[in-house]
Amino acid sequence: MIWKKAGLTALMLLCAGLMILPFIWMFSTSLKSPLDVFQYPIRWIPDKIVWDHHIKVWTGEESFVLYYANSLKIALIAMAGATFLSAFAAYGFARTQFKGRELMFFIYLSMMMVPPQVLFVPKFIMFEWLGIYNTHWAIILPGLFTIFGVFMLRQFFMKIPMEISESAFIDGAGHFRIFFQLMLPLAKPALATLAIIDFSWHWNDYENALVFLIDPKLYTVPLGLKNFILEHSIDYNGMMAAATAGIIPMLIIFLLGQRFIIEGISSSAVKG
Amino acid sequence: MKNNWIKRQRLTGYVFVAPNMIGVLVFFILPALFSLVLVFTNWQFGSQSMNFIGVKNITRLFKDPVFYISLKNTLIFLASVPISLMLAFIVAVVLNKSVYFKGLLRVLYFMPYITSGVATAFVWMLLFQPSQGPINGFLRSIGIENPPGWLATTTTSMFAIDIIWIWFMLGYFMIIYLAALQEVPAELQEAAKMDGAGTYKTIRHVMLPMVSPTTFMLLISGLIMTIKTFGIIQAITQGGPGNSTTILSLFVYKTAFSYYEMGYASTISWALFIIIVLITAVQWIGQKKWVHY
Repeated sequence: MIWKKAGLTALMLLCAGLMILPFIWMFSTSLKSPLDVFQYPIRWIPDKIVWDHHIKVWTGEESFVLYYANSLKIALIAMAGATFLSAFAAYGFARTQFKGRELMFFIYLSMMMVPPQVLFVPKFIMFEWLGIYNTHWAIILPGLFTIFGVFMLRQFFMKIPMEISESAFIDGAGHFRIFFQLMLPLAKPALATLAIIDFSWHWNDYENALVFLIDPKLYTVPLGLKNFILEHSIDYNGMMAAATAGIIPMLIIFLLGQRFIIEGISSSAVKG
Repeated sequence: MKNNWIKRQRLTGYVFVAPNMIGVLVFFILPALFSLVLVFTNWQFGSQSMNFIGVKNITRLFKDPVFYISLKNTLIFLASVPISLMLAFIVAVVLNKSVYFKGLLRVLYFMPYITSGVATAFVWMLLFQPSQGPINGFLRSIGIENPPGWLATTTTSMFAIDIIWIWFMLGYFMIIYLAALQEVPAELQEAAKMDGAGTYKTIRHVMLPMVSPTTFMLLISGLIMTIKTFGIIQAITQGGPGNSTTILSLFVYKTAFSYYEMGYASTISWALFIIIVLITAVQWIGQKKWVHY
């Protein structure tokens, strides 16, 4: 029994190793000198470790310092706004009565079927007209509203027993006090999960940045990465140093917030 | 008195929903309606005139060979979802009970999903490099003299994309399967064992049916997630070589922002919408039919 378990563990570790091999290759290549990139058999630990490529990625006029700042700005503002606005609306859908509630929620859900590609052209025109095309607001403003977030938090609020609200009502509390003083504290784990998922969407979002940003000074990390690769198309070591820079933050957030991410993703999906 | 309170409560409901509703109206619903209008125009970016041309964009779409190529590529791309799902199920079953270091393994398998898709796509681009890349280096070393050209040849490029996508999605599917397997009652597995069922039979006749709602939900949501994606493909192949990796969603992007044909791009995007509606319809109908306990 123990041997079987040990054997399966070894096998699964081997497969997991294959899964993360691209990451290891990436980091190892970023530390090599150009001539050793495609040396085969692969030398996982280079003879001479070269940090120049990482330095190159992080310095200069359009460096990852700038891309990080841009991405952080967009992801943090959108995350904070989206989390709060989702909770606010989710409370309305889950715990208040009003005319047309079901119909409105149905419209929300059906908008989830509309692919982003349908919205790119009209949003492009609208943002030109509003004067926010090629600014960070073109990504932040729509990012404040997430249908998924409303959906997820509504599920959460619906599970909280109604008696809690009723007894607060009897004590004279209105909906706003119940929301801010009772529901938000109760929802902390769900809010944290949504916040992390939302942050990771914005941090990894390449497609919106691609459509709505043209000034390299405004580039986010994925777009900056693409730009770097276009400009240094034969500098494989530099490319891998840039890819490392693009991956590190989410990796750190994931390792720190593992519990929220894994539990959040699985609970919102299994019951969904 | 009471009526008044209910009325006030009703208004409160609107106050809660309104901020989000206004945002959804401005950034989702109105643009969607506007896009629907664009379907019937020949508007090109930069030109001042916007003429209504009836259904010409739609008839053009049905005659456009690139549309059919991208449809075929989209199907090949979608095929990666069930494959990834199957592998994820196997990994989840093993991780669920029969390994040490479960926590560590879970993290390792999930890593590709959480990291930036574009960054990892560039890593794969180099791994797949046909003449000197490490994958073909390995294949040559085990005696395969003419390894495939991967992203560089039209016949294999879409399959190389599929490999990247299977790798990317596997961890996500696995995490959800692990949660679902935890809810399979232990007594059921015990009972199967008592009846003399081996490991394979227990998996096949107990676990697989018990997680079938999860499988179905993951399949549908995975297909929808996949069909909306184009970032990694745009980043590493731009839809090429030729149109061999142009999937429908990328076709929309290229038509709009490389050729500036906004009317035609809108038409293609609604074709994409119709496919998503069809997948969702299958979900509605199929939920009752194919999900067994």
